[in-house]
Formats: sequence, structure tokens, C-alpha cells
Amino acid sequence: MGEGAALIEIRDLVRTFGGVRALDGVSIAVAAGERRAVIGPNGAGKTTLINVITGEIPPTAGVVRIAGEDVTMLRPWQRARKGLGRMYQRNELFPPLAARDNVALALAVKAGPYRPLERVPSTQPRAADALLERVGLAGREGIPARELSHGERRQLELAVALAQAPRVLLLDEPTAGMSPAETARITELIASLDRGLTMLIVEHDMDVVFRLADRIAVLHEGRVIADGPAADVRGDVRVNEVYLGKAVATA
Amino acid sequence: MTRALRFGLVAIAVAALITFPYWSAGWESSRFATTVLRDVLVFAIFALSLDLLIGRAGMPSLGHAAFFGAGAYAAGIASQRLGTDQLPITMGAAILVATALALIIGALVVRSEGIFFLMLTLALAQIVFAIAFQWTSVTGGSNGLSGVGRPVIGGLDLTAADRMYVLVAVVFIAVALLLSRIVGSPYGRALVGVRENERRMRALGYDTTRLRLSAFVLAGAIAGVAGALSAYSLRFVSAQDVGIATSVRGFVMVLIGGAGSLFGPVLGAAVVMYIERVLSSAIPVAETVLGLVFVAFVLLARQGIVGVGLAAWARVRR
Repeated sequence: MGEGAALIEIRDLVRTFGGVRALDGVSIAVAAGERRAVIGPNGAGKTTLINVITGEIPPTAGVVRIAGEDVTMLRPWQRARKGLGRMYQRNELFPPLAARDNVALALAVKAGPYRPLERVPSTQPRAADALLERVGLAGREGIPARELSHGERRQLELAVALAQAPRVLLLDEPTAGMSPAETARITELIASLDRGLTMLIVEHDMDVVFRLADRIAVLHEGRVIADGPAADVRGDVRVNEVYLGKAVATA
Repeated sequence: MTRALRFGLVAIAVAALITFPYWSAGWESSRFATTVLRDVLVFAIFALSLDLLIGRAGMPSLGHAAFFGAGAYAAGIASQRLGTDQLPITMGAAILVATALALIIGALVVRSEGIFFLMLTLALAQIVFAIAFQWTSVTGGSNGLSGVGRPVIGGLDLTAADRMYVLVAVVFIAVALLLSRIVGSPYGRALVGVRENERRMRALGYDTTRLRLSAFVLAGAIAGVAGALSAYSLRFVSAQDVGIATSVRGFVMVLIGGAGSLFGPVLGAAVVMYIERVLSSAIPVAETVLGLVFVAFVLLARQGIVGVGLAAWARVRR
């Protein structure tokens, strides 16, 4: 892949917490339209990587680029406006608001919030309902987020991220805490999304990873130890030693 | 209830509120009720502005009196120093000074949250109080600013008590309409989003710091309007108008009435003013009663009177 085509590019990223190097010189480039998974054992630095990409955690060193633009110094909301959408590992919703209103807040961001004397456009609830139907929440539009089941909240979390119309969707363990049936449902849902949407997926469930990802980067102790097409990574001896072997052994 | 019927009832209530001094004159010759209702409406505006922070944006300020007092002093000082009682000038000064002060204090506090926000707003408001208390040549210091003129609009003199009341009632209605419009707007919804999950709002692309600052400044400007009306009504500004007692009073009004609803702060202002102004003449321990009422709501009904009422209504309908 040529670097010029990268929609997300991180280079020599370092992030330390005290004496611990959570990210130790990580470089990954994700091309437009690519579905890239990042895997690794607990503590490998996967969520730290996503937090650094979104700007929630500043890097100790290194560069983050979106479509070639250096965004390392930008704040999370500025990066979101560059096209980053995120599905959090732990749901980050608006608990007392109806599912429809959760999505509507994401839909409204493009028009901007400084419209204190305007009414909410009548098309917005319909657009929100359409997205909720897309993620399998038809009929649940008026239910407050806190009253939805865990699986439904994960679906809503995805709908909120999609409502931003992101260029890149960052999925931080999209199947976290789900039953096998719920996992299968949301995996197929993500797989069915527009092929033009670039994705960076952090996930523990290897069936989900191999179902969704075109390419896989493997993190181990803050470093990338493998990065390539899914089939190649599956056969990589070192990856099997440090991660896949353990995953299979503990499955 | 049809929309037309609801509109009609609201219109009648608004007309009745604005014309209260005229139709109550027969049974209320002392004008005591008019005076109390006027002051209730002044503090209802103050409480509504504070609720924009507490109830909508999730910013529990304990220093909101800084803007109420700044508006009161600005209106009074503008009137005396400029030698005019024209409402656009004195009220304009009040809004300008309260807005500028809210911008300065807001810039310092909006990045903090919870107890830190509470303490910072309290501390900065106390600095404003200290300035008001000690800058005697401008504010009158501990003696206060007396002889504030009642406003005129062009050739319309609002000096008479009844006309002063009408001004306060009209401004109250205007502020309530403005806020009801705001809370249903994309801006109002974004504030609720910030209150419920600021992290998610940032991840969606909202500049939450700017949103919080804008709410802080808007609330400060409206509190300044309430302060100016207080100065006109009482013809006096006290350093206490900037002090913690006034901030706490607004806080208590919002919490007793019910945060996050337009009706709650108004109801809370009425309850607090009733206890302070009416009940206090009947029983000597009215302030203690107010304290007990507040504690009861904090412990038993944090949604305030409106929340309790809505919950009861939901049970009845079930």
C-alpha cells in the first residue's frame, strides 16, 4: 500500500504511563476503504492506540495523520470533524435520552449546535429512526438508552457512531460483553456496512476478527510484531506464539 | 387538550399575570401581594437563568449571584453616573457588564466539573463580592447603592409601582418564552448532551468547552437582567446581591422547584419568597422552615416539586 493512499496513518507513536511504554514506536497505515483489525493480548496497548488516534490521550511522541493531514495537536472534537467515528468498548451513550435522541445528537453535529431559536428539523427523527432500523433497533426508538439491554446498547452505540457519517469507524471491541447470538448479529451487521467505509477494529474474538478484517496488525507489549493480510497473520509463527496460540488454548 | 385550547389558557394566564396590579386593586389595597409577586418574578428570572446551568448543562454554580449583582450595580451606577433612567441604556449596561463578567469567570471555570466547578464559581463570586463591598466610591460598599431611579422607556414613565410590576412581568414572560424556545432547540439539546455525556459529545465533534461557556455567559446575561430589575424595583443595590446568600437562594429555588424544567425554578422562587416574605411575618422561625424544606427535598425528592408532581400524575394515569 502506498503511503499517499493512507486515510489513517500513525507513525512512531509512543505513549508512556509512568515507566510503562504502552505504545513503543507503533506505525500503522490504514488505506481508504480498508478494514484493519488490531489484535493483541490484554495490555498490548490496543485501546491506548485508539485513544491516541482520537486525541483522548496525547502521545508522548509520534504523529497521527488523517488523510495526510497532521492532526496530532488537534482535540478529539476537531478530529471527529475530520471524519473519525468511534464505537467505545464501554458504551458512551446518553442514558436518560431515547434511542432516537441519542442518534439525533450525532446527526445534528454537522449543522452545528448554535441555533438556539430554531426548532429541531422534522427530518431528523426520521433519519434517526432509519439508522436505528439499520442496526436492528426498529420499534425501540422511544426507549431511553438506560432501559435497553446490553446487546441493544451496543447496537445503539454503533448507530450513534454511524450517524456521524464518519470516514473512518474506530470499533473498540464491538462485541464486548455480548452473548454468542448477539456477537454473531453485530458481526454480520458490521460486515454488511458500506464497503467504502474505512474501519479500524480492536477485538479479542478471533472469529470476529477474521470475519471482518482485510488486514491485521498484531500488537505485543506496545509494538507491532506483525502487520499484513489476515491469512498471512493467521499463519505467522510469532503471532501464534504470543497471541493466537494462547487464544486457542484458552478458548 | 387541543393546541388551540392550550394556547388560549396560556394566553389568559399571561394576561392575568401582567395585569395583576389592576384587577387585584379592589381586594389588595396595600399592594403587598403585588410587591411580593414582583419580587417572586425577579427571582424567578434569576432561578430560570441558574437552571439553564444546573438543569440543562449540568453545571451547578454556587456563584451565580455575581451576575445578578453585577447587573444590579451596572443598572444603578449607569443611571446615577449617566444621569438617565432610559431603560435601554441602564438595562443595556446591566446586560453588558453581566455578560462580560460571565465571560471572564466562565473562561476560568468551564473546564472544571462537579465539586471543583462548584467551589471555583463560589470562590470567584466571593472575589466579586469583596470588590463590591470594598469599592465604596463606586458601589457604596457596605451602605449599598441607594436612590436607584426607576426606568423610563422614551416618554413612558415606569416609576409607579404598578407600572414597575408590569415591566417585571413582561420581562419575565419574555425570558420564559426565550428559554422555552432554547431548551427545545438544537442548542438546548446539545447542552443536555454535554450534561449527560461530555466525552461522547466530544467524540461526536462538539466543542463542549465552548458549549459550556456559551451557556454560562447566556445564564449570566439573564441573571444580569434579573439584577437590574431588582435594582429598579427596590431602588437599592446591596453588596449582598453579589454575595453567597443570593447564590444559595437561587440554588435552593431551583432544587426545591425542580431542576431541568421551566416551571420548577419559577415554583421554587415562589415557595422560597413565600416563606421569606409571608410566612416570616406569621412565624418567627420561617428561615428554619425553609432550611427544613430544602433538606427534605434533597433527601426525599431530588426532582423537586415538579418531579414529585409528575411522578404522582404518572401513577394516577397508570
